Amino acid sequence: MLVDRDIEAEEIDSPEEDHSINNELAELTKYVEMITSTVRDMESPVTTTSDQLPEATAHLNDLAKLTEEGTHRVLALTEAIETNRGAMQTTLLQLQQKIGSEHSADVEKLVEMVKADERRLTDIHVALSFQDLVAQRVAKLVTILNEVQHKLLKLVVIFGIKHKKDGSSTKDEGRGSEMLRQLEASKTTALEQDLVDDILSEFGCS
Amino acid sequence: MIDTSLKVLVVDDMSTMRRIVKNVLKQIGFSDMVEAENGQDALNKLKAGDNGIGFIVSDWNMPVMQGIELLRAVRADPDLKHLPFLMVTAEAQKENIIEAVQAGVSNYVVKPFTAEALQVKLEKIFAKTQATKA
Repeated sequence: MLVDRDIEAEEIDSPEEDHSINNELAELTKYVEMITSTVRDMESPVTTTSDQLPEATAHLNDLAKLTEEGTHRVLALTEAIETNRGAMQTTLLQLQQKIGSEHSADVEKLVEMVKADERRLTDIHVALSFQDLVAQRVAKLVTILNEVQHKLLKLVVIFGIKHKKDGSSTKDEGRGSEMLRQLEASKTTALEQDLVDDILSEFGCS
Repeated sequence: MIDTSLKVLVVDDMSTMRRIVKNVLKQIGFSDMVEAENGQDALNKLKAGDNGIGFIVSDWNMPVMQGIELLRAVRADPDLKHLPFLMVTAEAQKENIIEAVQAGVSNYVVKPFTAEALQVKLEKIFAKTQATKA
């Protein structure tokens, strides 16, 4: 490479050699200009991206919060329905004893219907556990975004691109990569309950 | 047979999950339940005198103290080591399960789970506990 060349002035004695070095210096200048121009072109997207990342993080945190609030609301309503359902079942059983055998079968049918709703309500509760999984994924994404932002800001500083805001802390450096690995791994290698049970049985713990 | 008279400690950093697990346990027949939002909070409650806790259901991934650390702390404590410990978690890599088994977990349920899956695991834990006592 040109920059590695050891140029010793006393060795340059012919006009041809002088001309050659001038050409190479001209090329080097062009190259430096091109890099400077590229860095200048990067300024806007890099600065914009590093400015937008905290906003994206805030949106993700809002997403987790909104799903949590929504889940609590659904849980509160289903708990209220469950309370009513339990009271209805108790009343129906009392009624069954009072009315005697004539309409007992009809009441029994009603009791069975009300009992079936108990399981459905539990299934709704359990289905809402999606919120926990969403929140965990969001937390991982937020960590990754924080690291990306930090790296972009580093780039900004290294290339001398002017930026408006200070970057995030360096605490999470490396953590984002680990989270990304976990996020990727959980999409492809998270085990189903059956496989978990197989492993547990291997250890006599099924 | 599941001993529903036991007091259950439900440990999870997500309030929604604590509520969901409590609802499922209630449907199974448990009525005495307490909550903790991380391993440290749980350990403090377990070490508080006369807490009456007889069963632990814990998440793995939590701030302050993870579920696996709580499990190790419980198994290392002579007063607590007998407590059944069910891990309910999204951490479902093979290494996680092996780590939990080696730490002395009673059983392991993967999120998202069903009420039936939780009940089956509880039945297995209590069957084992009763067999050990007999």
